[in-house]
Amino acid sequence: MTSLLEFQQLSRQFEQGKSIRASGQLISDTMLAIRGVSGSGKSTLLKILARLLRPDGGEVFFKGRNWVDIPPQEWRTRVHYVAQKPIIFEGSVAANLQLPFTLKIIQQEHSFRMEEASRLLETVLLPRSILTQPAQTLSGGEAARVAMVRALLLEPQVLLLDEPTAYLDSDSSRAVMGLLTEWLEGSSRGIVIVSHNPDDLKELPLPVHWLDLESELRKS
Amino acid sequence: MNGYIPISNFQLALSVILVLLTGLISVFLRLGLLKPLLWGTIRAFVQLTLIGYVLTYIFQINRLGLIIPIILLMCFIASREATRRVSRVPYNPAWSAFFSITASTFVVGSIVVVVIIAPDPWYSARVAIPIFGMILGNSMNAIALSLDRMYSEIHAHVDEVEQLLCFGASPWEAVVRYVQKAVSAGMMPTINSLMVVGLVSLPGMMTGQILAGMSPQLAVRYQFVVMIMVAASVAMGCVLIVILSYKQMFTSDQALVESLRKN
Repeated sequence: MTSLLEFQQLSRQFEQGKSIRASGQLISDTMLAIRGVSGSGKSTLLKILARLLRPDGGEVFFKGRNWVDIPPQEWRTRVHYVAQKPIIFEGSVAANLQLPFTLKIIQQEHSFRMEEASRLLETVLLPRSILTQPAQTLSGGEAARVAMVRALLLEPQVLLLDEPTAYLDSDSSRAVMGLLTEWLEGSSRGIVIVSHNPDDLKELPLPVHWLDLESELRKS
Repeated sequence: MNGYIPISNFQLALSVILVLLTGLISVFLRLGLLKPLLWGTIRAFVQLTLIGYVLTYIFQINRLGLIIPIILLMCFIASREATRRVSRVPYNPAWSAFFSITASTFVVGSIVVVVIIAPDPWYSARVAIPIFGMILGNSMNAIALSLDRMYSEIHAHVDEVEQLLCFGASPWEAVVRYVQKAVSAGMMPTINSLMVVGLVSLPGMMTGQILAGMSPQLAVRYQFVVMIMVAASVAMGCVLIVILSYKQMFTSDQALVESLRKN
C-alpha cells in the first residue's frame, strides 16, 4: 500500500472563469475515481496530471518524487493518459499498436509483443483478425478498445482514463473493466478514472476511492 | 551581346494602354479592380524607376561595405513579408524567418557569385545584387508556405500530437510527420518549376537575357545555375525555419502551447 500519485492543492482556471482546486492520492492496486457534474473540470484535472496542461498552482508527486524533478517524457511513460476520444493513426490496427514502440524512449525499455497484443485484444472481445484491418475503418467502440490495449502494452505505472467506456456497449464495457481489474490486481499499479457511470465502478472487486470534484469546485 | 532593343518613353506609355483596357473590363464587369490596378501600375512604375537609378548608383560605387548592408536589408524585408500573412502562429516568427532567409541566401548566393560566376572583383554588385534578389524572392515564398503549412497541420492534428506526447514522444517525434509535410509544401513550387522549365515556360531571367541579345545557349546556362541555386536555398531555408519554429510550439513541460490547443 504505497502512494503512487499524490497531488496537493492543484488549481487551474479554465473556461469562463471556472476553476478547479483538487487534492488527492492514488494508492497502488487501487482506483481513484473522479466524480463531478459535467464542466467541473474532471478532464482538465487528468490533462494536468498528464502534464499536457500546466496548473496555476499546486504540486504533484510520483512515488514521493516531485514531478518537477522528472523529465516530462519519462513522466508520460510512467503516468499514461488515455483520452476519451480514441486517437487512431493511419495504417493497420497492428501498426497503431506498434507505433509507440518506434519512439526512442519506449525502445529503451520495452519491445512490442504481438502475442500479448493479440491476447489483450481478445480479452476486450476483439478478434485477432482485426490486427490487419485499416484502423480508420474501426467503429468508435473498437477504436476505444484498441486505444486501451495500446496503452496497456506500454506498461505504465499509472493510467489516467477519461471515460474509458463512453463508446462501449455493456458487454465490451464489462470486458474492458475486467481487463483493467486484472491489470491492476497485485501489480503495484494504479488508475485514476473519470467515469460517467459510477455504478460500474462500485461493482468492481477492487478498492475504489472517490474524489468529489464538484465539492472541490464549490469550495474554490 | 549588345543586340538589345531599347524601349522608348512612347513605347513605355503604350504598354499602359493594356492596363487601361483591363481596367475597362473590370468596370464593365463591376469587379472593383480598377483602383487597385491603377495604383499597382503607378507603384510598379515608380518603384522600378527608382530601383533603376539606385542600382545604377550602387553598381558605379561597387563597394563591399555597401553591398552587404543592402543585401541584409533585402533579407529583412523578405522575412517580414514571409511572415506577415502566416496565420495561427502563436509567436512572432519574424526573427526565425530572418535567420533562415539570411543564412540560406548567403550560403548559396556566395557560392554562386564567388565560385561559379566568379566576377571581377569577386563581390561585383552587378552580379551579387540580382542573384541574391532572385534567391530571396523564392526563399521568401517557400518559407511563408512552410510556416503556414506547419501551423495549419499541427492545428488540425492537436489530438494526434498530444497522443504521441502521451506515448513518451519527444516534441520532435510528436511533430516530425507534420514538419516533413511543411518542408515539402515549401519546396513543391521550386521542384515543379524544375520539372517544367523550358517545356511550359521560359523563365523571366532567361527571357530577359535573350531579349538583351544574349545567345540562348548562354542564357540557358545562367538559367540552370539560377534554378539549382534557388532549389538549394529554398531547401535550406525551409528546413531551417521549421527547425527554428517547432520548438516554440512547446512549453518547457514539452506540452503544446495553449494558443495552439484552442480551436
